[in-house]
Amino acid sequence: MKTVFVGMSGGVDSSVSALLLKEQGYNVIGVYMKNWSKDLPGMKCPWAEDLADAKRVAVKLGIDFEVWDFEEAYKEKVVEYMLREFRAGNTPNPDIMCNQEIKFKLFYEKAMERGADYIATGHYARVVAGVQDDLRVLASQSRSGARRSLPSPWGSRATPQFANFRTPLRRDSDATRKESSILRQKDNTDYLLARAVDENKDQTYFLYRISEEALAHTIFPIGEMTKPEVKKLAEKKGLHNAYKKESMGVCFVGEVGMKDFLKGYIDIRPGEIREIESEKVLGYHEGVIFYTIGQRHGLYLTGIAGEVNDGLPYYVVKKDIDNNIVYVSKNLNNEYIWAKRLELKDIVLRAQGLAPPSRSGARPSGLSPQADGATPRFANLRTPLRRDSDATRANMGDILVRLRHRAPLIPAKMVLGENGTATLEFENEVKRPAAGQSAVVYDGEICLGGGIIQ
Amino acid sequence: MIYLDHAAATPVSAKVLKAMEPYFSRDFFNPSAAYLPAKKVASEYEAAKDIIAHAIGAKAADLVITGGATEANNLAFTVLDDQVRVLASPSRSRVRPSGLSPQTDGATPRFANLRTPLRRDSDTTHTVVLYLETEHDSVRAVAKKHNGTAIRVLPNGLIDLDDLRAKITDETMLVSVSLANNELGTIQPMAEISTILKNIKIDRLRRGIKRPLYLHSDASQALNLLDINVSRLGVDVLTLNAAKVYGPKGVGALYVGHDVKLTPITVGGGQEKGLRSGTENVPGVAGFATAMKEAKEHLNSNRKKYRHLKQILLTELDGYELINKKHSLDSFVVLCYPGIDAERLIYLLEEKEVYVATGAACAASKGQGSHVLAAIGLSDAEINGSLRLTLGETNDEKQIHATARIINEVVKAERQRMLARG
Repeated sequence: MKTVFVGMSGGVDSSVSALLLKEQGYNVIGVYMKNWSKDLPGMKCPWAEDLADAKRVAVKLGIDFEVWDFEEAYKEKVVEYMLREFRAGNTPNPDIMCNQEIKFKLFYEKAMERGADYIATGHYARVVAGVQDDLRVLASQSRSGARRSLPSPWGSRATPQFANFRTPLRRDSDATRKESSILRQKDNTDYLLARAVDENKDQTYFLYRISEEALAHTIFPIGEMTKPEVKKLAEKKGLHNAYKKESMGVCFVGEVGMKDFLKGYIDIRPGEIREIESEKVLGYHEGVIFYTIGQRHGLYLTGIAGEVNDGLPYYVVKKDIDNNIVYVSKNLNNEYIWAKRLELKDIVLRAQGLAPPSRSGARPSGLSPQADGATPRFANLRTPLRRDSDATRANMGDILVRLRHRAPLIPAKMVLGENGTATLEFENEVKRPAAGQSAVVYDGEICLGGGIIQ
Repeated sequence: MIYLDHAAATPVSAKVLKAMEPYFSRDFFNPSAAYLPAKKVASEYEAAKDIIAHAIGAKAADLVITGGATEANNLAFTVLDDQVRVLASPSRSRVRPSGLSPQTDGATPRFANLRTPLRRDSDTTHTVVLYLETEHDSVRAVAKKHNGTAIRVLPNGLIDLDDLRAKITDETMLVSVSLANNELGTIQPMAEISTILKNIKIDRLRRGIKRPLYLHSDASQALNLLDINVSRLGVDVLTLNAAKVYGPKGVGALYVGHDVKLTPITVGGGQEKGLRSGTENVPGVAGFATAMKEAKEHLNSNRKKYRHLKQILLTELDGYELINKKHSLDSFVVLCYPGIDAERLIYLLEEKEVYVATGAACAASKGQGSHVLAAIGLSDAEINGSLRLTLGETNDEKQIHATARIINEVVKAERQRMLARG
């Protein structure tokens, strides 16, 4: 019997995940990851209730349940990162960091030490297991320019092709790979992150930075289900939290909590709000870190009606951290709001079979055409991956980009630079996301990785 | 449903509900209003307060109605406010050298000869409050705010009177000991405590020390289980709660002895003799009064019933250890199943509609194990295996037989699950 440690947050998604694993015959151990338990003034941290919900479900399912305390690590790896980024004027995403450092690292590692075959979470995402050779063959079949081996599209570059990877791409020989019942027997299998069946709930945006090693040992039991299906199943199985209000897990995550949270940790100074075109002082702000580019609410603007307040809103277009100034503009076409190119750093790219886009114009994707259909390549997926012919696909680029969770996929071109940087080019201008947010890159259904927007 | 958590909440009884009803709609008037119907409501309100007061051997004028026991406990501790201000200032001026100004030049520390830094105003309250370590959070939190010192309990849950004697100093102004503990049901010897305090007060007077010494007790748990009389208990301030005696939630009261001076927390229209402003909760108090009347009437028969039901549980349950062996309210049965995770038992029992409590570190306690069970010397494993069953008017013999059977089954299943894991 295979052993799975499933992260249980107390929400319906992870509860149903545990339920499905149990029904599939795994030896399931539920784990509540205690990452944060501190209340904020006027805001009760929901951890204790969440823990009770998780444990109640575990007891109902008759599975073991444990609480793993990651508070120290969470503080160090997620909270401090977050504060550092905010201090620098960026808008970080703590969930992405939490997945990278806690759920798919510490939790994964501890589970493996405890003899896990897999870990599981209630994320809406899928892991596809494919055989690398097959992927390559597919690529060559479907493209005019045959790419038999990886280096070719990068041949012209002197630098190592994957210098930007945090960890070198692992090859077949990896010792940690274990045999498994779900198409993980072959040791040259690639493990790729794929979008969830439920487009509305797809959470790959938060998962793009998790390691391939963890991914290879991860099950997303509800990745093939829609949220309504999950809720319905929970209700049918008598799980009490079927209709529990979705929580962010950590109280300060979410719009309302963040500001209060930051006030307790970052020394903020009020300062001027200026119009970028005229440098005129229009008002005052509470602290430059609270503002994000493109924001138009919560600006305390003074001034003469008709001049300042002519009914058109001002948008935050620039933050000058050093001088503590927030710049605003009424010009919706301001260059700071829109961008045709985005510079990324700390790039993470997965899928060696799917080399990052070449400039030759050839589409690198090998996954889409299930050409002959002789052998199901992704036998672990009940729902076939959507095709490239997906309506969202345009001619512009080789890849699709998501700039915010649940934002539409935008066709783009990606050009890799030095030291883990890359440039995204869009056909049409996009609303510029805040620096520190992530751009996540897809090839059809496959999440190739992404980077942090500079 | 079998409800065995009457220490947490009680259902409002039919009579109480009926007594409250008119005041929500028909007799809704503000008791402070000038016209006759309002005056009638005002007098009915006073009459209801009188009933509550009589139940504890007091008069309506001695009661301050509050929004529950927590508020009453907080209000009780305001006896310190005025006194600290009055009494602390002279002693301070004696101790403190003049010229305690900011160290402007910062060249040399001015009081380098002092080993301990000079105390600030708030420190003068250091030993002013003593409270029992097993008190409810509503007392512990406010006592800690006043830098209170905890009095230890003995392994049987009773106050360690020697520790009390040892910790009382000439600074002590308030001792807070609940009449019956909310987790164990342990009944504290209030008369003995008040005798000790009385002797200390006499000794203080003899030595010319004016500082008062008050005894506060939270009687929330015991109101319908003991015959309570403020003079017999010897308390100066007593907390009452409607929600534990089949009255409405959010209604409590504080008995305030004659020479006790409190400071209001909530100010406004001056209701409750200025100690608790806000329009009177007429339906709540009417309900509270009826609940107290019923409690008095059924006191002896209920106690007898609970002793009987408790005996059934202790006879029919398997494999437990009884924690509250002695000096406990008749309705409290606190058990321990060593090695078992009692929080799991709670969830398994809830599936069978049996509702009980635990002292285990669980969500309900914000992940903290019971400080009460720790205080009487239980290990973490024992605390995590603890169940608290509190009997009440909703229970009958048939239910209790069923409870024993269901708990036995669930514990057995849980032991088997653990055994299978190795």
